[in-house]
Formats: sequence, C-alpha cells, structure tokens
Amino acid sequence: MAEANSKPGESLDKALPSGVEYDEAIMAQQDRIQQEIAETSQLIGDHEDLLLLSNEYSEEDNVYQGKIKDLRSKYKCFRRTRGDGNCFYRAFGFSYLERLLDDRKDLERFKEVAAKSKDMLVSLGFPAFTVEDFHDTFMEVVEKVERQIPVEDLLATFRDQGLSDYLVVYLRLLTSGYLQQNQDFFVNFIETYASVKEFCGHEVEPMARESDHIHIIALTSCLNVGVRVEYMDRAGSEEVNHHDFPEGTEPKVFLLYRPGHYDILYK
Amino acid sequence: MMASPPMSGSLRALALELKNLQEEPVEGFRVNLVNDENLYEWQVAIFGPPDTLYQGGYFKAVMKFPQDYPYSPPTFRFTTKMWHPNIYENGDVCISILHPPVDDPQSGELPSERWNPTQNVRTILMSVISLLNEPNTYSPANVDASVMFRKWRESSGKDKEYENIIRKQTNATKEDAEKDGVKVPTTLADYCIKTKPKTSHSSMDMADFYDDDYDDGDMDDEDDDDFYEDDDDDSGNGGEGS
Repeated sequence: MAEANSKPGESLDKALPSGVEYDEAIMAQQDRIQQEIAETSQLIGDHEDLLLLSNEYSEEDNVYQGKIKDLRSKYKCFRRTRGDGNCFYRAFGFSYLERLLDDRKDLERFKEVAAKSKDMLVSLGFPAFTVEDFHDTFMEVVEKVERQIPVEDLLATFRDQGLSDYLVVYLRLLTSGYLQQNQDFFVNFIETYASVKEFCGHEVEPMARESDHIHIIALTSCLNVGVRVEYMDRAGSEEVNHHDFPEGTEPKVFLLYRPGHYDILYK
Repeated sequence: MMASPPMSGSLRALALELKNLQEEPVEGFRVNLVNDENLYEWQVAIFGPPDTLYQGGYFKAVMKFPQDYPYSPPTFRFTTKMWHPNIYENGDVCISILHPPVDDPQSGELPSERWNPTQNVRTILMSVISLLNEPNTYSPANVDASVMFRKWRESSGKDKEYENIIRKQTNATKEDAEKDGVKVPTTLADYCIKTKPKTSHSSMDMADFYDDDYDDGDMDDEDDDDFYEDDDDDSGNGGEGS
C-alpha cells in the first residue's frame, strides 16, 4: 500500500525537526484551517430560524431533533458565530452589549465595572501600555452602546475583524485577571498546569484558545453578568439541559452550546 | 461580506509601539525601522547591562513581525555575533515569550511565559536583556555555550573560558557603536535614564511599570534576582541557586 515509498523513520525526522519548527508547523496548519473557516462564516451571523438547525442532523437522529424541537419552544431564533476558538468571548460580548442597548441601568453599572478593570489588569502585571490600548478600544465600544447606536452598527463593529479581535482580547484578559485574583479557589480545577497563572498564559490569554466552564465562570463572575448555556449534545433525553453562570444569577445572555462551539440564542 | 484582513490591526499596533518607544526611549535599548516604508521589520540595539559580562556592549538584532501581530509573536535574531546558551548560531533567540502558545504536553514542568497579545517590543527586549545574564540551561540552543556557562558558574567564575569569550565579543561591539554614533551607558545611573515626566496618561503608567526595577537603590549585589521584574519565569530556569 502507500507506505512502500518512504521509511517511517525518515518522514518522522522531517516532520519533527525541532521544537520551534514543530510549533511553527502547527501554527501554519492552524492558520490554514482558520482561513477556511473565515471564508465560509461571519464572525457574528444574522438572525436565523432555529428550524435551520434541523437540517444539520439526520432526520432519524431523535436525540438531536428532539432537542431542536425543545429549543424552538423556548427560543425565537439564533445567530451563528464563527468557530475560530474565540466564539464564546465574541458571542458573549456581542450578545451582552446588544442587550445593553436597551438597558440603561445595567449599562451604567457595567460601564463602571469595565472602566475599573484596567487597573486590576495592570496591578496583576500585564504591561500597562498594551493593556491600555485594548481597554480604550473596549471602552469606545461601550460608549457607542451608551449612545444607543443601531444594532446594525454594533454588528458591524463585531464583524470588523481588527476591532472585534481587540474586544475578544480584552475579554480574555478580564477572564485571566479574575482567575488570577481568585487563584486560591481556581487552582483546584486546574489539572495540567502548575499554577493558575500558567494556565492563563496557555489557555486564556492567547487568541483562539477555546473556552471551558472555568473560563465562563470567571468572565461572568468578573463582570457579574448572568449567562445561560443551553447544551445540545448526545447526553440524556430529548430536552436541552441548561446551566446558568454564575450559578443562581438571572441570565441576560443566552448561548447555545454544541460540542466545541457557542452560538447566540434569542428569546 | 468578508471581514477586513487583520493586517490593519498589526499596522496600528506597530505604529503605536514605535512612536511610543522613540518618543520615550527607555533604559537598555533603542529601536528603529530597517526601512521607513516597512513597519514589520525593526532594527533594535541592546545595551549590555552594567555590572554584567555584557557591560558596555552594543548588540544589534532584527525583529520581524507577522501580519497578525500582536496575536502572534515576532521573531528576534541577533545580527551581532553572540555566544550564549539560548542563542542559535544564526542569531535566533530561543526564549519562551517568543513562542506561540501551542500544546506542548509534558514540557509543562518548567513554568514559562508564552506569547500573548499584551506582550510587546518592550517586554520582549526586557526579557532578552535579562536572558543575556541569566541563561536557561535546561533547553540550550547552543549546547557548547551552555556547558561552558555551567562550568563558569559552577566554578564561581574560576573557569574563565565563558567569561573571556563574552568579554571579547562585548569588546568587539565597540566599533559598531562608534559607527552608529552611540555612546553605550556603562553605569547603572546612566543605564537607567529616567524618562522625563510626561503629560499623557499612558506614559505615566509606563514609568510606573519600570520604576520598580531601578529606583530602589538596592541593586548592588542582588541584581540577578531583581534586576528585571517581568521575567521571573525565564530566569527561574537559569537557577542561580543550583
């Protein structure tokens, strides 16, 4: 068969020349995958009917079809987000700011929390110069929301890759900041890293690292914004399970989770 | 509708950093563009820190930035010849802050600061300056230099082979400095020039960030530990205690 032409040892040597080049090879491959994804989906999509989800699964797939039906009884529609590893942050950021367009009181509260957050990050040792740049961009968008720009403009902001990624970075920093501030607690949930700081350096701060429960707990607690995640996976019955973060808060953002990905739900 | 390419973001970030570093030159290094038309390639010069083997040295390097900077790190290559455990023969520096954060299972025993979008030219240069004097011998890029460095360290400086090479290389950089019309500071006082008080908010923050490193006046004999505050992770590997 195919293996006849090359000795396995040889090709392995070529494939894994050194740590640095290996890293670079992985990065290059990730870049190619990201490019393909970018060409086929928007960072934040338009409203879509939940019925469209049915097409993505086999008609005989009772678990999923049942869950979609259940979802449709609870939500009106959804927006897709790009699966680029940043989907939780982007979905959360857009959905919450979109909601703040109609919630003056919560906006004021949030603006204050967001304004203070820069000092928290600098005190944790993040370089002030760059943190400030991300912070300022973030606050400019919060101020746009304060001026009650149309939803389309907020959408355009989140679809502008340069701007949108800056917002994602800032949300990642806040997540990292909260984890580090509360490391005595979170260290109990970190398995493969020696410290919370190291976990953040590898799994939170870099772009495109996916989010787990711990990230969601940290960000929603940091900003005190309730998020309900509806889980659509193989588990259990034909009903979607949900979980609220932080536990016991009234959700303001609704996300649909399918293994590896978050989209935005609308009541 | 396609999103705009991320390049605009990198241009913006680089222009901002360059402006900031040129308007407020900080201790230990200078930066310029290799070619005024191209923000993605920088010529940097590091001054050897006083009270180290590198004192008085003028070490030049080129930094190349990717289109998706600051989401991915730049490369850093010395153009001045460097004999150092963590510098490859071609001048490439092997330091964790320049590594993209990919999965590296089982290498997690050494804590190391990886690239993230808040890292920048300044933090990289500070880490490299620090690395000069505190090599990480756990993953040497130049094994011979690493062995020699350890002999030097373990003999408490009696085995001078390493020291002699570094001093010779450092001396050899004087010509470059003269050619570039640069006077390399050789005392801590000169090295740690205070930036003038600035009006803008951001520069005040910057000053705060670096003040801690130099202002305390306790630099004399414990600079190995405290000289640069932001590189605990890298220097920890070098291990002065062992």
